Amino acid sequence: MDYVVAVLLPQLLHGLVFGAALGLLALGLTVIFGLLGVMNFAHGELYMLGAYAGIAVIGMTHSFWAALVVAPLAVGAIGALTEVTTLRPLYRREPLYGLILTFGLALVFREGARQIWGGDMRRIMPPFTGSTPLLGMTYPNYRLFLLVASSVLLLAIWLFFTRTRAGVLVRAAVQDAEMLDGLGVNVPRVFTLTFAGSAALAALAGLLLAPIFTVYPQMGVEMILLAFIVVILGGMGSMGGSVVAAVVIGLAQSLLTLWMNPQRVAIAIFTIMIVILIVRPRGFFGREGVLE
Amino acid sequence: MSRAVYARVFSRWAVIVWLLLMLLPALPFMSKFYLLLAFDALLFGTIAMSLDLLMGYTGLVSFGHAAFFGLGAYASAALLERGIVSLWACLLLAVLVVGLYALVVSFFATARRGIYFALLTLIFAEVVYTFFRYTQTFGGSDGIQGVAAPRLVGDVAIDSPLRNYYLVLVYLGLAYLACRVLVTSHFGRVLVAIRENEDRARFLGYNVQRYKMAVCMISALLTGLGGALYPGRSAFATPDLMLWTVSGEFIIMVMIGGLGTLAGPVVGGAFFVLLQEKVSSYVDWYFIVIGLVLIFIVLFMPRGLLGIRDLLGGRRWRTTA
Amino acid sequence: MAHDGVVLEVDSVSKSFGALAALSRVSFAVRQGQIFSVIGPNGAGKSTLFNVISGLHVPTVGRVRFRGREIAGFSPEAINRLGIAKTFQITNIFPEISVFENVRVAAQSRARESGRLASLWRLPDVEAGAAGLLRAFGLDAKRHELAENLSHGEQRYLEICLALATEPTLVLLDEPTAGMTPGETKEATALIRKIAAARGLTVLLIEHDMSVVMGISDRVAVLHFGEKIAEGAPEQVRNDPQVIEAYLGPPEA
Repeated sequence: MDYVVAVLLPQLLHGLVFGAALGLLALGLTVIFGLLGVMNFAHGELYMLGAYAGIAVIGMTHSFWAALVVAPLAVGAIGALTEVTTLRPLYRREPLYGLILTFGLALVFREGARQIWGGDMRRIMPPFTGSTPLLGMTYPNYRLFLLVASSVLLLAIWLFFTRTRAGVLVRAAVQDAEMLDGLGVNVPRVFTLTFAGSAALAALAGLLLAPIFTVYPQMGVEMILLAFIVVILGGMGSMGGSVVAAVVIGLAQSLLTLWMNPQRVAIAIFTIMIVILIVRPRGFFGREGVLE
Repeated sequence: MSRAVYARVFSRWAVIVWLLLMLLPALPFMSKFYLLLAFDALLFGTIAMSLDLLMGYTGLVSFGHAAFFGLGAYASAALLERGIVSLWACLLLAVLVVGLYALVVSFFATARRGIYFALLTLIFAEVVYTFFRYTQTFGGSDGIQGVAAPRLVGDVAIDSPLRNYYLVLVYLGLAYLACRVLVTSHFGRVLVAIRENEDRARFLGYNVQRYKMAVCMISALLTGLGGALYPGRSAFATPDLMLWTVSGEFIIMVMIGGLGTLAGPVVGGAFFVLLQEKVSSYVDWYFIVIGLVLIFIVLFMPRGLLGIRDLLGGRRWRTTA
Repeated sequence: MAHDGVVLEVDSVSKSFGALAALSRVSFAVRQGQIFSVIGPNGAGKSTLFNVISGLHVPTVGRVRFRGREIAGFSPEAINRLGIAKTFQITNIFPEISVFENVRVAAQSRARESGRLASLWRLPDVEAGAAGLLRAFGLDAKRHELAENLSHGEQRYLEICLALATEPTLVLLDEPTAGMTPGETKEATALIRKIAAARGLTVLLIEHDMSVVMGISDRVAVLHFGEKIAEGAPEQVRNDPQVIEAYLGPPEA
């Protein structure tokens, strides 16, 4: 019982937090993939840029909360600019080119960040400290905040996609991008805004996780690999699927850390993916006919 | 009736270029340093060519070729370290190891289409990287260092830059020949059909997944064999050879040279190696340059930096009237 | 077991996607050498029927027999290898290779080397057959053009060439004249009929435009909301009151 309260429960909560953040990334990837037909390799770098932009804003304003607002907006703007200048010309071309292009973008962003901020590991101090007694254990306040914030965020996204006209439109277009043409929608603008939106979400995830992780130029690489696994397990193109898969992977990652070192965890996660793909070749929510 | 292989494959230009490369070491400025640079240029050119089988002909992007390369290098280095110095043993082990791994990867990666292949090859390669980097079985992050030079036959060791250069030149020649035969054969035509329209190919009776697996295996084996030659030149195999950025570099080489041309990616690989050597010694933001070059090529020169694809006929198969 | 020259037998096939029943208990038999047409308005389940026969979908219930052999659930490539070739409603060719290479790659699917190790280095000589097909469809002069540069009508013909190049005994044509002008349509139907007769082919054709099928079909079946509502000779079907009501809608002027 002590073990459950002292070890298992906190780790479970860590897993949920991490899974939710991963879900934000994977959701962005899925929406961009469904809408634009591009698997965005630079998504991890947008996540990384979110953390660095946060550091920059905190440096100027000394306020984590200001950073939480400004950094996603800044990265969203970078995303919009990127979409307009580099991705837009590619929409009529084979998906292969989009993949390769975003790989180039990832290189530029990552190396650019290293040039501007250096290659050292950095930390962001959590905006508040202390712990709260919870279910018989004490849990750091910031992590509690993360848990609430990411749940609220996911809920808000869910409401956006189910309750607003814009959200329903995008969701429908993710399933079938060609239908947009028929609705008299300004397609390029929808694409740009969607890309900017998912960039901002990635940045938000990067900044929110920064106080409990470290910030360094390669931090996006590890996340994007996990996010790719999540997208595949979610069924490629299923938005709900990627959130569910993200939570599963987040929990698995967090719990496995109790019993093995981080590198073994990576291999274990991968094994889980293979087993799932053998049992369910289309992932959790993949539909017949999509991508096959 | 089937056509004579010779008539399909023979290219006067390829022979001339290859013979000129034979003479390259005779140039006065070819120091050991430049010989090793030339080795790298040809080795990575050959690997880019084998990746072109996937990217240019079949329309599949592999983001995991570094793992094939690295596994080949480790297979070879592990033998050399243990005193088994026959080049042929190294190559054989590389074929077995890379072949087995590629079989598993290609089985999963070809199960669904498009981007899925890129993602799965990437994820598999990262696991291989993680394994070699973080377990001590093969030296951890140091890898296998200071291995002996492999021997061709008896006491003939490939222990100088010059001998290494000729070894890789022979490898390039044979690999080019193999690739030419492949892409001009029944098999190659089907690969192009799969690239153009996978569904249609299925409805014409082709088992698309089997073709994809086969070409993936062949590309992986050619890359793995290239990897097996690497410890002979560098005396080491390290996990860094399998970093996913290395896979990305292979892709960049193919893009620079031009998709679906075989000769183009060889040039692209050589160009990339030379660029890397020159640029990285002057600027420390080398990766920005590489990234921008890649973005520029995709946007403005999808047929490759040298436009070589059109020069050689490229995608447009010349039909024999 | 094949009997009475029945080539294809669709036996109470149903296919549903979730709650939507696209086909319910559809049965018919196509005999050797027939041109058999399935007609029905858009959304009647014609394409689903084709997808079931050609191996893209597995029927929810029912059987499909080709020459007496159960084929439901086979993969598209396996079904093609048994001798059923399909054309597509939306032109489905290999756009960036030449017209001739299009047909060649289809024709070599039946070469001895296909699927064997020797295919890695040998190039089967199937050029005579490919050239013959192009001649038959009047595409001979365009053999070196990239397929994507052909006109719409020519691409439709190329599509049929691809299917025929795999030497099928049964051809499934999915609205072969879609997008053609009335003049082209007339020419195309005549050509299909001629080539089918010359090659001894059995043809299963789906079409929503009733006028197209009347001229060339030996037998017609009508689908409506996934159910077969009539089958018979063209004249007979055309005058079937149920068909007129269901298919042509309310009586028109």
